[in-house]
Amino acid sequence: MKLPIGWLNDYVSTEELTPEELADKLLSVGFEVEEIIRLGADIDRVVAGKILDIKKHIDADKLQVCMVDVGSEITTIVTGAQNIAQGNTVPVALDGARLPGGKEIHAAPLRGVMSYGMLCSGKELGVDGSVIEGAEADGILILPETTPGTDIKEILRLNETILDISVTANRPDCQSVYGMAREVAAVLGKKCKPLPIKYKTVSSGLKPHVEIRDEACSKYTCQVVENVKIQPSPQWMRDRLRYVGVRAINNVVDITNYVLFEVGQPLHAFDTKFVKDLGIIVRKAELDEKITALDEKEYTLTERMTVIADSEKPLAIAGVMGGEHSGIGADTKTVLLEAARFAKGSVRATSRALGLRSDSSARYEKGVDVMSVDLGRERALALFSQLKAGTVTDAFAQGDAPAVSPKIIRTTVQKISDLLGIDVKQSVIVKILKSLAFEVETDGATLVVTVPLFREDVDNYTDLAEEVIRFYGYDNIHSTFMPTAKTTAGGIDTRQRNLQSVRAAAMHFGAYEITTYSFIGKKALDKLCLAPNDELRRQIEILNPLGEEYSVMRTQLAVNMLHVVSLNCSRKNKKFRLFEVGKTYIPHALPLTELPEERDTLCMAFVGSEENFYEIKAAADEIFRRFGVTPSRMTYGQKPYYHPGISCDYYVGDACICSLGKLHPVAAKNFDITDDVYLCEMDMHTFIENEPPITKFVPLPKYQAVERDLAVVVPEETPVGDILRTVQNANALCSQVRLFDIYRGEQIEKGHKSVAISFLLSAPDKTLNDAEITAIVDDILHALQTQCNATLR
Amino acid sequence: MEESVKRLTEETSAKIVACGSVAELNDIRVKVLGKNGELTALLKGMKDLPPEKRPEAGKIVNVARETLENAIATRQSALEKAELEKRLQAEKIDISIDKPVEHIGGLHPLTIMRNRIVEFFSSLGFVVAESPEIETDYYNFEALNIPADHPAREMQDTFFITDSILLRSQTSAGQIRLMEKVKPPIKMISPGRVFRADEADATHSPVFHQVEGLVVDKGITMCDLKGILDLFAQHFFSQDTKTRFRPSYFPFTEPSVEVDASCHHCGGKGCNVCKGTGWIEIMGAGMVNRNVLIGCGIDPDEYTGFAFGGGLDRITNIAYGISNARIPFENDIRFLKQFR
Repeated sequence: MKLPIGWLNDYVSTEELTPEELADKLLSVGFEVEEIIRLGADIDRVVAGKILDIKKHIDADKLQVCMVDVGSEITTIVTGAQNIAQGNTVPVALDGARLPGGKEIHAAPLRGVMSYGMLCSGKELGVDGSVIEGAEADGILILPETTPGTDIKEILRLNETILDISVTANRPDCQSVYGMAREVAAVLGKKCKPLPIKYKTVSSGLKPHVEIRDEACSKYTCQVVENVKIQPSPQWMRDRLRYVGVRAINNVVDITNYVLFEVGQPLHAFDTKFVKDLGIIVRKAELDEKITALDEKEYTLTERMTVIADSEKPLAIAGVMGGEHSGIGADTKTVLLEAARFAKGSVRATSRALGLRSDSSARYEKGVDVMSVDLGRERALALFSQLKAGTVTDAFAQGDAPAVSPKIIRTTVQKISDLLGIDVKQSVIVKILKSLAFEVETDGATLVVTVPLFREDVDNYTDLAEEVIRFYGYDNIHSTFMPTAKTTAGGIDTRQRNLQSVRAAAMHFGAYEITTYSFIGKKALDKLCLAPNDELRRQIEILNPLGEEYSVMRTQLAVNMLHVVSLNCSRKNKKFRLFEVGKTYIPHALPLTELPEERDTLCMAFVGSEENFYEIKAAADEIFRRFGVTPSRMTYGQKPYYHPGISCDYYVGDACICSLGKLHPVAAKNFDITDDVYLCEMDMHTFIENEPPITKFVPLPKYQAVERDLAVVVPEETPVGDILRTVQNANALCSQVRLFDIYRGEQIEKGHKSVAISFLLSAPDKTLNDAEITAIVDDILHALQTQCNATLR
Repeated sequence: MEESVKRLTEETSAKIVACGSVAELNDIRVKVLGKNGELTALLKGMKDLPPEKRPEAGKIVNVARETLENAIATRQSALEKAELEKRLQAEKIDISIDKPVEHIGGLHPLTIMRNRIVEFFSSLGFVVAESPEIETDYYNFEALNIPADHPAREMQDTFFITDSILLRSQTSAGQIRLMEKVKPPIKMISPGRVFRADEADATHSPVFHQVEGLVVDKGITMCDLKGILDLFAQHFFSQDTKTRFRPSYFPFTEPSVEVDASCHHCGGKGCNVCKGTGWIEIMGAGMVNRNVLIGCGIDPDEYTGFAFGGGLDRITNIAYGISNARIPFENDIRFLKQFR
């Protein structure tokens, strides 16, 4: 909120503090000053000058040479303006002056005549008609007669400093000048002056009446002001409205706005001629009831919105905006002034639903307290009286509403001290609470605290503890280390440890971890060439996404990974390995009726011409090994974004838990990737929460192992993996089976290949002799022959 | 005879000293001491001596042999040493060349910082509890003392999936899930991903991460909160880092504070990192609101607690000097490699 310091000073004097010091004080009690706005800070050395004489420039038809009294001297200024006359008082930017926008003025000759400054227009001073009449005229700003040499900032009333304060959501009572004045007074140890609410009433024959039929309105008051004279409000009021960013309209509207910012109470002024029988009804709107608001637009209401109506028609959308026929016009003679309290949630919902916001609705949404209704109305009536804007009458009405009594909190000094962890003296607590308008009675160690009605945020002793420490000072809170707490065992759980292990494995394979958003574009899956009915397209949609690009929760990590690969390739980063451990979001039903499954998923990408299928397969296999996962089946890859012949899917039971292999060239093109990419996607949810198998030590061999090689010829389609596994399983003494060559060529029958393998033979209890070795090799050959259709080469 | 042995010994000794290689030395040994060597020949010539002179002559020859063998051994070891040194000299390489390391692999800086935070709090007896990223309105707002018409809902622009299901806007939701299951003493942190409808720019991201902390036990005070956060700031920024509390507001804590750490960059004097204030905001905190405890079935007159929560991304970016919140989500490999 905007707090003009001059306005604040009406209620508590802060003159001894600089704006920065005041901002620091406010910060210490929880109000952050986001900006200190100094009006006119960008204007320097501009003064009022009286034009004594005007002559034509000898060498330029369009220029005039003025002799100007600027107070300290009489100086020569050349100007192109034509709207000036001898005797005018005008703004003069002296030699060395600064103007808004950083413009600097220096003495310089103009067509041979020295000019010691510049006469300024309103625009050049950054002001418009709301500041001073004539500011928008074409030409030099003609000022009222003023002593030459007077600083222009004084004349234009640009010498105000405004604090832009961030007020937390629990303190709607501080959304006003007076509310902040109460806090400032408490900080400075001063008394806050009471609001001027004195006015005289005359008796009126009018009999307003109020009926509240809607719970969203908890208080409604109104009072009649007669003999209203619509005219501009005085300069000081228009200035203050300008400081808080509100345009001055006329005295009646300006009074309501002034009170809104000063007291925090929204008001509405109805012209009584539009209110039938002066009978106000606060009710729910009817479905599809229509009202044209002051912004001249028609709004269609629902039965969840509150309106102010008379017996015939809605007059205003409660707390949001008045109707076009209820407003104040130049001919308004009698005003019915409304001060009421509407529920913040109701006003917010209405304002949102209609897409209609006003200063009033913004204020109601934050919460208006029950006390400010009367205070705001009376302040406004006092201003009517002060400004002679109308005659306040005794014609007053209010709706029936339950009386609100202040909250009473019973607590002890000990409880407050215990929560804070420091001993605060009873006298200190009492003094602080009293300075904040709490009433405190003490009964031994017990405190009986009456909460002021404007402090709706205060419910219990912890709130009081906050008030105490806010003003006692958080500097008094020192460090302790939970002396009363029980010892607890901390740490991560199995799943978290397993995820660390997965990351470590990926890292051991040289991959760098990436982090990407959890949502992707709905159309992004098209890039993966997925069929319209693909399971991965069952994505959870966000109702209010930032854009199409971030509109659905991901069901896979490949899209984001490929975007990252693509970005890196476009930046000429070559040869790299990446991985991401992240969640995929799998709905049980769409639209969601319960929370979806969040699956821990791994995605790796190995990029560059030196990579191959077996590299990434080894990485996946290593992770399976760590978790004791043995896939039951492996097939060539089925997903459309993998190369059909250089990819595979691993299954456990019927579930595909891992796909890996080379990216399909069409998918690569869709992501603008020209480098080779090998991708691996692993759904870890089936095993990530299991305790990984405990390693069982195998005694190291005591006897020498023998290495043997074999080359066998098999049909081309026989998977080498089958051959290796067959050898491994053929005899228990056989280990470390490795492929070392595949040969196809002249000596080998067409449609066949020669597969060369090596292995170790060793026994735990002896060194194998030749005969035993031969027997084992025979076993192996036999197995190869029968199971793989292999012949010894 | 004696004369010949003496001459041979002297001559050979001179040759041994003079010889320049192990091979040459070997030639000398064969020539003098070998089966057909000169000294061996002299020994063989003893048979021509009278028997009574033979022992004396034998002794002379054996002494000479021993002398020469020692000389050869000494020389041989010296020569071998010299030859080894020469070889090692010849093997000298240029040690100024750096080989680029490939395939080292590394964690994302957010993970590194998360792991450090987890390790820090684990060592203090905090369990690490995670909770769903797609949450219900109840856990994200309602149970945290933020009812439907509460202005605090406006503080965060939340992504919604349905009326009652949303992308959690704060890890605080995890507090409730834990307190529903576990009763005091509770010490937990809940690191995780959160979402807010902010366009990505230098200081905002629609996806970011928080670390939430919660302690509930008998007699927990605001000073205990200060103690933990002081320790945290000193651990993660520097030993002389100070923290300060500023009053603030969160619906789920009362009293509530913003926690600032003294600027690690300027030491609190004021610089562009801390925008001249000497302080950097690192998290929000406070004493757990009584309503929150009651909602979780914990008696607020028996137990008190504190909670704190900070942006993991923010702490990471401060610690590593990452100037733009978008960079960590770009995942440029040149960025990632800096943190291995």
